[in-house]
Amino acid sequence: MLRLEGLVKNFGDKRAVDNVSLAVPAGQLVGVIGRSGAGKSTLLRMINRLVDPTSGRIEYDGIDVTALQRADLRAWRARSAMIFQQFNLVGRLDVLTNVLMGRLNKVSTTRSVLKLWSDEDKALALAALEQFGIAGIAAQRAESLSGGQQQRVAIARALVQEPDMILADEPVASLDPRNTRIVMDALRRVNRHFGITVLCNLHSLDLAREYCDRLVGISAGRVVFDDVPAALTEHVARELYGLEADEVMDMPASRAPAGVVAVAA
Amino acid sequence: MRSPLRAAATNDLAGIRARHPDVFALSPAQRLTGPAIVAIGVGLALYALWRLEFSFERIGTGIVQLGYFLTLMVPPSSGGKFAMYLGALAETLAIAFLGTLVAAVLAVPAALLAARNVVANRVVHFLARRGLDSIRGIDTLIWALIFVSAVGLGPFAGMLAIAAADFGAFGKLFSEAMENSDRKPVDGVLASGGSEIHAVRFGVLPQVFPVMLSQVLYYIESNTRSATIIGIVGAGGIGLHLAEEIRTLEWSRVAFLVLMILVTVAAIDSVSARVRFAIIGDRRRAA
Repeated sequence: MLRLEGLVKNFGDKRAVDNVSLAVPAGQLVGVIGRSGAGKSTLLRMINRLVDPTSGRIEYDGIDVTALQRADLRAWRARSAMIFQQFNLVGRLDVLTNVLMGRLNKVSTTRSVLKLWSDEDKALALAALEQFGIAGIAAQRAESLSGGQQQRVAIARALVQEPDMILADEPVASLDPRNTRIVMDALRRVNRHFGITVLCNLHSLDLAREYCDRLVGISAGRVVFDDVPAALTEHVARELYGLEADEVMDMPASRAPAGVVAVAA
Repeated sequence: MRSPLRAAATNDLAGIRARHPDVFALSPAQRLTGPAIVAIGVGLALYALWRLEFSFERIGTGIVQLGYFLTLMVPPSSGGKFAMYLGALAETLAIAFLGTLVAAVLAVPAALLAARNVVANRVVHFLARRGLDSIRGIDTLIWALIFVSAVGLGPFAGMLAIAAADFGAFGKLFSEAMENSDRKPVDGVLASGGSEIHAVRFGVLPQVFPVMLSQVLYYIESNTRSATIIGIVGAGGIGLHLAEEIRTLEWSRVAFLVLMILVTVAAIDSVSARVRFAIIGDRRRAA
């Protein structure tokens, strides 16, 4: 169980995340939605401790995540794997090595720096790649792959961390519609098949509705909605997204004036 | 707790090994490459040490001798020549600064010719590259000897020597920076109807300008030291005095001169770091 209590993050005078409290039970697929700049990324990055909160507390199964230091902090980062919008792979390294980065926290520094991976770790990495049907490109350089392939490599990297949780920060924002499906299906598979909690920032409301068990709406750093997707009415969505609402929702009826629809029908 | 992934991996270990044999079993050639390279490197180093008559004994007596010189260096003293040294130091700085500047300015067009993604003509590219290589192949010290004979003793010869040697170095560094630049902005400029010149001016140069500037700043630092050395062969500056005082065994003056050079190089180092940060560090500033 992940618990956030009164989480606040200020960047200078700007408050990016404002008093967020949430409880996420293990195994949920939670979509964090809201317009660009609402504080979704900062929230996820704080959970992984890539960003330190200004105040508030993050707790996971009784561990005070906000107080972790050094080796304990690195161990926590391995448990809360991160997926990024721009994939954040090492382009010049091959796919297998990129995936094996997920083992760094568990392998001795000497062995990992010399790339002396154990057969078991290699098997783990290949098994993860096979999960997403991309084991055949294990020897290719990461930079030579398409965006959809790169994001699946990133998910495989997260998976070999054997994490409790995956934090996906806009994982499909740089992908075309077909690859968006493939990557979202991969995240759903990680959640359903491996029982890993997934927190996923999404800009598109339709994807969030389709894939998530629960939606958390963030507006100006505050939680303004927290319920099952079915409870998200168009009214709430408009409040959440403001002028962007039409971009993120696939609701032709609401886009066209009533008269036009009548004529077309 | 075993993760489902680990369970999948261990249960199907044989299958995974069978499907990806090359990941698990390195070929003998791959396995031997690393150790072989290390063995050859160590062997060459040992051979070189033997040929160069490496001797711990000589290092020992050398250290004793150096220790004796050090005692003679304390306290450092200018011997009443401080004003003269200061003038010579200023001359050295001028040689380094002007020489680097001339080299950098001349190297930009040469680098454009030598960069494969700027001038597509293979002959031009080849000639420019080999030309720069030949100039670079001759050391600053040799250029200094040549120019001292050609234009006479003094700082002018020193400046020409640095300009010549670094023209070759900058030409190579700049052209390589251009070749490593990202192709995408160039496509963007060409797709908007820009000419080849526009593509270089707006697609390539803004990308490589920070790299070039940082190289030039580094060379000004490094050339302050080089300018000291070429002074020894008569190309002006503080090196002339340094050579003179070493020859006459005036060790306290040598120490004084070395300290002056150290302070100057440290000062240039910190100034150039600030300049570099001010110009390159600010990503919002357009080039």
